[in-house]
Amino acid sequence: MTISEPPPREVVRAAPRRPSDRSLTPMRDDLYEPDAYGQELLSSLMRAQAGVSLAVLLPAISLLVLYPLLTVLLPRLAGLQVLGLPLTLIVLGGGIYPPLVLLGYWYVRRAERLEQRFVELLKEQ
Amino acid sequence: MTEPATIAAIAAVTVITAVISARGIRIARTPADFMVAARQVPSFLNASAISGEYLSAASFLGIAGLAMLEGLGALWYAVGYAAGYLVLLVAVAAPLRRFGAYTIPDFAEGRLDSSLLRRAATGIVLIICGFYLLPQLKGAGLTLQVAFGGPEWIGVIVLGAIVTLGIASGGMKGITFVQAFQYWLKITALAVPAIFLVMVLHHPPIGSVSNSAPNFFDQRTTIEFPQTEQLTVGRAVQVDAVGQVDGVVRHGRLTLTPGTHAVSSGATLIFPTGSKAPEVEGSPSLTEQEWTSPLLHLGGAPNHPLAATYGILLATVLGAMGLPHILVRFYTNRDGQAARRTTAFVLLLLACFYVFPAIFAVLGRLEAPGLYVSGQTDSVVLVLPRLASAGILGTVLGALVAAGAFAAFLSTSSGLLISMSGALSHDIMGRGVRAFRSSAIAIGIVMTVVGIFVASISINVLVGWAFAIAASTFCPLLLLGIWWRRLTWVGALGGLALGGSTSSIAVILTMVGIGKTGWPAVLLGEPAIWTVPLSFLTMVCLSLATPRALPHDVTQKLLALHLPERVRPPAARRSELGPSATSLLATGASGRTSPR
Repeated sequence: MTISEPPPREVVRAAPRRPSDRSLTPMRDDLYEPDAYGQELLSSLMRAQAGVSLAVLLPAISLLVLYPLLTVLLPRLAGLQVLGLPLTLIVLGGGIYPPLVLLGYWYVRRAERLEQRFVELLKEQ
Repeated sequence: MTEPATIAAIAAVTVITAVISARGIRIARTPADFMVAARQVPSFLNASAISGEYLSAASFLGIAGLAMLEGLGALWYAVGYAAGYLVLLVAVAAPLRRFGAYTIPDFAEGRLDSSLLRRAATGIVLIICGFYLLPQLKGAGLTLQVAFGGPEWIGVIVLGAIVTLGIASGGMKGITFVQAFQYWLKITALAVPAIFLVMVLHHPPIGSVSNSAPNFFDQRTTIEFPQTEQLTVGRAVQVDAVGQVDGVVRHGRLTLTPGTHAVSSGATLIFPTGSKAPEVEGSPSLTEQEWTSPLLHLGGAPNHPLAATYGILLATVLGAMGLPHILVRFYTNRDGQAARRTTAFVLLLLACFYVFPAIFAVLGRLEAPGLYVSGQTDSVVLVLPRLASAGILGTVLGALVAAGAFAAFLSTSSGLLISMSGALSHDIMGRGVRAFRSSAIAIGIVMTVVGIFVASISINVLVGWAFAIAASTFCPLLLLGIWWRRLTWVGALGGLALGGSTSSIAVILTMVGIGKTGWPAVLLGEPAIWTVPLSFLTMVCLSLATPRALPHDVTQKLLALHLPERVRPPAARRSELGPSATSLLATGASGRTSPR
């Protein structure tokens, strides 16, 4: 695409985009063909989605698994006081949640962007 | 201590629930209405509704009580209940919504084309919901007991009757708006007293929870004994006793000599300032170091704590996705992306909620050591506001937590009973409104009777078991069914059977008191640590051994799970509402929790 090309016109419609959109049809039909190409397209989508999921899950799992393990390996950590409060209370009583919530939001954004790219990929061809 | 304010609060919760439900029914009557409403529920409202149905007696009463009894390590339950939604979010929410199955049996049949698998899944729905319903009934018993005195079974029967009649009459359905209302009621009922208690109550500094043992009563302490307890007294102490102690009815001053004393139910003992708290048989007494340890102390004993912690994490994190009454709610999302946004909001709402049980646990240890003696730590959330203030403020706060607790039991147990009756009537008793009603009544009666007999088990432990069974059965079915192409119905059935039976047997053995120490206690009490891997392994190996049982249109099914709605052909959209969805719409009128 050259820069001089006019940007594609967007048609704003009252109804949401429907699956009968012409531009999507040929590629989408490929997906439903039992041949290797459609299969490949599907498994690449699944792989990409699983990749985003794992990128979120791994930090969360390591947080949950490592904290108890660390307190066994470093017993001083278990009885530590921070700002006059037991560290256990700070972590389990609230501190562990913000990272989990942030990971959740990060996942939603990344997953939506991934699907947007997939839809555009189908349109381009 | 009959309190009009508490009666009024509990009655108000029940009536408001019934009224909103009844109005909702009039709005959504036909299957088409369900679908239309389903598309209109915004993510935040939907997330409130899911959280409202999810936060049960375990979250409202159980976590604070267990953390007070067994130490802060028990807060891992709360962390797991919340973190489970992160796993649900990244692995299950969007694909399951896109697939269009409304219940787990629907998903099992739709994904793997086996009606046998469907019936097995139905059986497991009944087991999980049954284990989950018991602690709700127990919680109701406890709430009414704290408010009005009397034995615990009264509350069990009251809640059992309200929920059973409500559902059998079709008057109490899992409507989005009711459940959303109940989330906000629950968090208010916990947050307001918690913040108030921290700010106003003259408690010792919170940090002192790490060094001051609660073994001494630092003020004159009145302890009521709703159940008979065996007390071990170390040093002779003079108490004021009302009721039966060691088989003799007392009314006045009494000297408890060193040794064991039996205090009958209904008795009250008043300990003087500075006396040493007696120890209770079967109840742990943790040192401060043990109490603040970040590991789970199963039954209050430092018994392979790391393994127990991982066991409870596995059960709660993976079990959350397998709760049948929650999953149906995901179909009120417009599409897969909306399902993701909703789940992310649920995670946020749960994280906000679970800060408060920790506060109650700490204040309970500092302020209400009498609960250890009377074996009533599960009621700490209900009791603390009354201890804080004798006047109208204590009454109002007490009524508020009682109302919140009752909302917790009502919302969760009606969701559970609807799921159970729907599953039983749809797959076993024959469809139709009459089958649904008789299923609801039969299950309601059976569960209420069983509920009377589980009084001695901690609420949170019971719920933990429901999660362990869910994690050992539906979690592998969902994860492998969504992400692994080669899963077959034979593999899934084998995994459900083995994971379901081993985890259930382990739980039942623990309930009857087998394996109290050492590894047996951990492996039977927290079975998820071995039954979840076992179930996964069985599903994978059996599926690889039976490639011929693979559904012939497995690609279509994976496309239905993973393809964004925007790129689906119209034909695939229709097939997404396949037999599973139509079967729901057939029973929708009979009252299964349905998207509104």
